[in-house]
Amino acid sequence: MKRRPSARVVRAVLVRLGASVLVLWGAVTASFAALQAVPGEVVDSIVGTNDVTPEVRAQIIAEYGLDRPVLAQYGTFLNRILHGDLGRSYRLDQTVGEAIGSQLAASLRLTTAGIALALLVATVLALLTARRGRRVRALSSGIELVGVSVPGFWAGILLLTVFSFQLGWFPATGGSGPSGLVLPACAIAIPVGALLTQVMREGLERALEQPFVLTARSRGMSDGGVRLRHALRHALLPVVTLAGWLFGALLGGMVVTEQIFSREGIGRLVVGAVESKDLPVVMGVVLVTATLYVLVNIALDLLYLVIDPRLRGAR
Amino acid sequence: MAPTLFMTRRPVIPGILSAGALVLVLALTGCGGSGDDAAADAGRPVEGGTLVYGVDGEPLDLDPHKSPQDIAALWARPVLDSLVALDARGGLHPWLATSWEVSDDRKTYTFKLRQGVRFSDGTPFDAAAVKANLDHIVDPATKSQMAAGQIKPYQGTEVVDAHTAKVTFSKPHAPFLAAVSTVFFGIQSPAQLKKGPDALARQIVGSGPFVIDKYTPRQGIVYKRNPDYRWGPANAAHTGPAHLERLEFKLLNTDSVRFGALNSGQVDAIASVPPSSLKLLERNPKLKYDKRQAPGGNYNYYPNTTKGPFSDVRVRRAFRDGVDYKTVVGKLYFGAYQAASSPLSPSTLGYDKTTETLWRYDATAAGRLLDEAGWTGRDAEGYRTKDGERLTVHMLSVRTIDREQRGTLAEQIQAEAKKIGFDLQIDRGTVNEYIARFGKGDYDVAAISWQRADADALRNLFDTGSISDGTRLTQNIARYSDKDVDGWLARALDTNDQAARAELYAKVQKKVTEDAAVVPIYTPTYLVGFAKTVGGISWEAQAFPTFYDSWKTGK
Repeated sequence: MKRRPSARVVRAVLVRLGASVLVLWGAVTASFAALQAVPGEVVDSIVGTNDVTPEVRAQIIAEYGLDRPVLAQYGTFLNRILHGDLGRSYRLDQTVGEAIGSQLAASLRLTTAGIALALLVATVLALLTARRGRRVRALSSGIELVGVSVPGFWAGILLLTVFSFQLGWFPATGGSGPSGLVLPACAIAIPVGALLTQVMREGLERALEQPFVLTARSRGMSDGGVRLRHALRHALLPVVTLAGWLFGALLGGMVVTEQIFSREGIGRLVVGAVESKDLPVVMGVVLVTATLYVLVNIALDLLYLVIDPRLRGAR
Repeated sequence: MAPTLFMTRRPVIPGILSAGALVLVLALTGCGGSGDDAAADAGRPVEGGTLVYGVDGEPLDLDPHKSPQDIAALWARPVLDSLVALDARGGLHPWLATSWEVSDDRKTYTFKLRQGVRFSDGTPFDAAAVKANLDHIVDPATKSQMAAGQIKPYQGTEVVDAHTAKVTFSKPHAPFLAAVSTVFFGIQSPAQLKKGPDALARQIVGSGPFVIDKYTPRQGIVYKRNPDYRWGPANAAHTGPAHLERLEFKLLNTDSVRFGALNSGQVDAIASVPPSSLKLLERNPKLKYDKRQAPGGNYNYYPNTTKGPFSDVRVRRAFRDGVDYKTVVGKLYFGAYQAASSPLSPSTLGYDKTTETLWRYDATAAGRLLDEAGWTGRDAEGYRTKDGERLTVHMLSVRTIDREQRGTLAEQIQAEAKKIGFDLQIDRGTVNEYIARFGKGDYDVAAISWQRADADALRNLFDTGSISDGTRLTQNIARYSDKDVDGWLARALDTNDQAARAELYAKVQKKVTEDAAVVPIYTPTYLVGFAKTVGGISWEAQAFPTFYDSWKTGK
């Protein structure tokens, strides 16, 4: 009987992977279509408004196959992707693989640090405030509301002004070093942490109303023990789901944080690419982030099984 | 610096330099700095140390032969020397070329080259290197977005002997010396050029006072001193290696962050001090600033003279005279940028001061002009109408690559224009939408600044041949066409008589002002803020700072 659940898990993962490929194909196709719809010729976005000679213009058109029908360009693109080749950027004198590869690590570091910090803060805050007195909860909710609604730009500037320009604790730009990671990670953790705290506290409060809590308490378990050992597990499920979604959303939407803290990253890469209609880079980023998102979600599905043993036996 | 469509210093839209047509006296008038010389505080030059410069943009590509961005010029200058040097007053000086001869028909340029110069990779600089560089620029595989366009009639370079290079053009090409003085024609090591565009995009090798030590896209670049440097330009303040041991450009895109980094002492100098921070800077006893007005076309609005309401000169005049641009500019930029009153910046050779007085702000007169033009009605919202149609004009704008708060500027102008009955619509879109509509002339008004050292910038802005035709994006945004103006512009290229040129350019400036083919807004100004421990920041002719003569004192 012990094997069946794990075989089921393997099959579930395979089904998920198959569905993911379809999702990825859809994402790539949709963004290809969207970018085609943007007015303006690609060759113009490569040369900008510059005074290029006709020979150079012809060279660019030939090099990127821009004179071919859109469907043929799409076909070539799909075919190359199947062979692991993301193509070549129109603007960067780099292959898309190089361009993304050089930025991805920085983005992953920042996203991971930001979410980890947010999870930590949310767990501590939620454990401390769930089903506490009115005033404690009101204060906490107030802070969370501010945290969720404060614009990322403003939070970033504020952090820099206080902790870098005035106190001098952290550099305004630290590249990828640990000291340079603190402030940007905080900037991300503020809204994310606030959101997660709300969700987690709600989960905790619901769990604390359950009969098993009463049972645990009646066995003489301390309040802290009940919260940590029993309620937290229940509260974690929705939080993990949300954190997975946030990971995907953040990876694509870190432009502001990257810009303010002068960091490398996917966000700035993709903004520049969209502006200049650098099709191969946009597609590459869509594909890579979608893949990561899918992988993270599969990993989270597996994590559920760890968090809630009951799911292992379920259909 | 290279002027760009949007004058952006961000790497999105590259620009065009088309350097000065003829190298003449460039009067950098009205370019007052913050007052006293930088050297007054930093004292005498000090050897060694690292200067950290916070910049507000990075080039897409380090190779200036390919990249047209002004920011590429800033980044490549520490590494690349030029054949000749152009000073801020327009004078030419020897650099890698000790002397040069121009044939009478202006088709052949013979350079005598300096001996004993070596690239930082150890290879020697010689006539073959000059040939390799010019050939590299015109090679279609380089995909040069500007430099090649500046030497279109280029035929070839002959290596006469190791230290003599002869450059030939198929037709007279007077702008050549001005062009080769710019970084876009900087001399690179032929060995590095051979490595191809991908390598050059990230690493350029020259004979300059600095060598690239580490380049990290989206973060910055570090240069280290070239200890063997003995061949600075003849107009530099010193000879021999650079004073600084290291020079570092740190990318700080966000204005407030860049200023905060300077104010808190994390960097030694910053590019583009936000005008709103100037007062704060002045209050900090450790800081000072210097500025240069860029020569060439001001940041101007250009009404489309070929279609819509602005095809009527009276409506164009009303739009120019009826809005108090001076007050808008003064308030928005806290006085940091000078409001413009002519098509050209006052620091441009050939600037005609009399155009400043050809028109003035007069809302009442503007109203009369609109009445004359038939826009006599008023609708419920207060806009003027003619035959039931509202006086609406569409302006092209791309918010994402806006710099110097030009989007806010447009909104304030929009509000002011409403007072005299104009419905100014700001059409915001992507760069590609902009380019598509720009090429077809699908707008009523658009705006650019156009930096060039010489009044020949007028040819880009107002010559009939410079109207975009859909395949070529050019800079006559007003789509202005006038036989007299075309004639004067052509004649100005044909003569070396400075007085005659100035007279011809003055005629052009007067004519386009009379025809209201341009609405002057403000003069782009490069503002460098720096700690008083920094000395010797000098300026290129095209108004960007250079660091060969710079130093930093201990405290």
